Amino acid sequence: MAIRYSWMSPRLALIPAMVITAVAFVGAIGWTIYISFTKSRRFPNYDIYWENFWRQYKRLFNDPNWETSINNLIFMTIGSALAILFGFILAVLVNKEKTGEGVFRTIYLYPLAVSFIVAGIVWRWMFNPVLGIENFLIELGFENASFNWLAHKDTAMWGVIIAIVWHGMGFYLALMLAGLKSINDEIWNAAKLDGISPWKFYTEIVIPMLKFTFLTCAILLSLGVVKTYDIVLAMTGGGPGTSSWTPAYFVVNAYATRGNMGYASSAAFMMLLITFAIFLPLVLLTRWQTKRKEKEAV
Amino acid sequence: MANIDISEREFKHYPPKKKKIKGSSIITFIFLAMIALAVLVPLYVIIVTSFKTLDQITLGRIFDLPTTWTFEGWNKAWSEVCSGMTCNGVKAGFFTSIKILIPSIAISVGLASITGYALALWKIKWAGSFLFVLFICAFVPFQVIMIPLVLITAKLGIYGTFWAVAIVHGVLSMPFLTLIFRNFYKDIPPELINAALMDSGSFWRIFGEIVLPMSGNIIIVVLILVITGVWNDFLIGLTFGGFGAQPMTVILANTVITGTGAVRYNVDMAAALLTALPPLIVYFALGKFFVQGISAGAIKG
Repeated sequence: MAIRYSWMSPRLALIPAMVITAVAFVGAIGWTIYISFTKSRRFPNYDIYWENFWRQYKRLFNDPNWETSINNLIFMTIGSALAILFGFILAVLVNKEKTGEGVFRTIYLYPLAVSFIVAGIVWRWMFNPVLGIENFLIELGFENASFNWLAHKDTAMWGVIIAIVWHGMGFYLALMLAGLKSINDEIWNAAKLDGISPWKFYTEIVIPMLKFTFLTCAILLSLGVVKTYDIVLAMTGGGPGTSSWTPAYFVVNAYATRGNMGYASSAAFMMLLITFAIFLPLVLLTRWQTKRKEKEAV
Repeated sequence: MANIDISEREFKHYPPKKKKIKGSSIITFIFLAMIALAVLVPLYVIIVTSFKTLDQITLGRIFDLPTTWTFEGWNKAWSEVCSGMTCNGVKAGFFTSIKILIPSIAISVGLASITGYALALWKIKWAGSFLFVLFICAFVPFQVIMIPLVLITAKLGIYGTFWAVAIVHGVLSMPFLTLIFRNFYKDIPPELINAALMDSGSFWRIFGEIVLPMSGNIIIVVLILVITGVWNDFLIGLTFGGFGAQPMTVILANTVITGTGAVRYNVDMAAALLTALPPLIVYFALGKFFVQGISAGAIKG
C-alpha cells in the first residue's frame, strides 16, 4: 500500500549501494580472477595467456612460500582457537562472579581497540631477547629461559599467535557473554536446585545451547586469520626468512614487492576460495536457523 | 523478573554451605584479576618504556618503572622521527589520519544508513536477495579486490590522495554497516511507519523526521566501529595513500619497522602509543557502545 506514495525514492536511494556492490565487489572479484589469467606483471596487460592458461596457478602451487603460507594459516587457525577457549572460560567466570563484570570486560576487551601494527610493535619489543621478557626471566633466576621466539623459524608463529590471542580474546568473551546471558534464568535455577555439578552443567547443558555462538566465533576467527597481515608484518616482517608468511602477506608481497599483478591475483583468488570454504557453513546454518525460527513462530 | 528475584533471595536465605560458595567466588575473582593484569601487561610496558630514558632501557628490566620520567621520547616521536626521507614525526600521519577519517565517516554512515533504511522499511521485492549479496560482500577479504580498486582509483586520478583512502574505506565498510543499520531499522514498529506514510509518504521526510531521530544509539555504535576501524587500518592506507597521504599507522610502521639507524625504543613506544591513543580514548570513553557494536556486528545473519 505504500508503493503508491513513494515508489521511486527508495529505489533511487539504493543505486549508490548497488553500484558499489556491482563495481567494487562483484566486478572487482571478476576482474581479479581475469587478471590472474593474463600476462599482467607490474602493469595490467589484458591479453590472456592462452599458451599457458594456468601458468600463475601452476607457479603458485609449486611455490614453497605459498605452501608455507597455507601451513601457517592452518596452524594459526588452530592456535588462535585458544582465544575462543579462553574467551569462553572467562565469560563463564565473569558471568558467575558478577562482581566487577564491567571492569573486567573493559580490560579484557581493550586490545581490540589497538591496531595490529601497534600490537605487533609492542609484542616484538617484549620478545626482544636482550632487553625484553627473556632478559627479565633470566634476571629472575631462570638461566635457561628462552623467549626469543620471533627469531626462530619453529617458534615465530607461536609468537604471532600469542599476540593474536591477546588481541582477540576479549572479542570472543563479549560474544560468549552475550550468549550466556541469553540463556534463560530458569535453566540456571533449575540446575542449582537439581544440584548438578558445575562441570556437567556447562559441558552438557550450556555448551550445547551455545553451539551456534561457538560456530559463529570459529568462523569469524578463521575469516580473521585469513586476513592476517599487519601483525605479521609488525612482528616478524614475514621472517625469519619467509617462515611466517600468511596468504594475505603473500598476496601483498607478490603485488607490492615482486610487482607481479597476475601472480598476486591468482593468490588473491585462492584467498577468496578459502574464505568461501569457511563461510559456506555459516551461510547454510544461518539460513537453517532463520527457517527454524520462522517455523517456531508459526 | 520479580519472581526470579524472590527465588534468588530464597537461595540466599537457606544456603547449605554459604562459606564455601564465598571462598570459591574469591578464588574466581582473584583469577579474573590476574588475567586482567596479564592482559594489561603490553599496555603497561608500552607506557613505561615510552617515558624511560634510552640509558635505562639499555639496562634491560622491561617491567621496571622509569627512574626518571622523561617526555623526550614523546617529543621525538611526535615531531622528529623519520618516515622514509621526511623527518616530521608521527604528527604528519596524525593529521592525514584525521583528514581521511572525516570523509570516511560521512561516506560510510550516510551511505549505510540510507541503504539500510530503504532495505528495512520499504517494500522492495528483491531486498532479501540484495541483503544476501551484501552479507557475502561483507566477508570478502580486502586483498581479493585490492588490485582492481587500485586500477580504478588510478583511473579516477585520486590514487595517492587521502580521498582515495577515505572512499575505499567507505566502499569497503558499506556492506557490513548497511547490515547493522538494516537490522536496527527493521525493529521499528510498522505502525509508526504506516502512520508516517499516511501523513506524508515521502521517503526522505520519513527518514529525516522519524527514522534519523531514532537512530542515536546505532549511529554512535557505527561511529565507534568506523573511527577505530579507519584509524587502525594499515593496508588500505599503505596501498592507496601513496607517498602523500600516509595515515598514522603507515608512518609508524615506516619509522619503527623499516626504520634505519640506531633503534630508540622509548621513541618507538611513544610513537606506537600516540598512534593507539585516539581509538583507546574512544574505547574507554564509550566502552558500552563498543561492546554493543561488536555484538551487533557479529550476531547478525
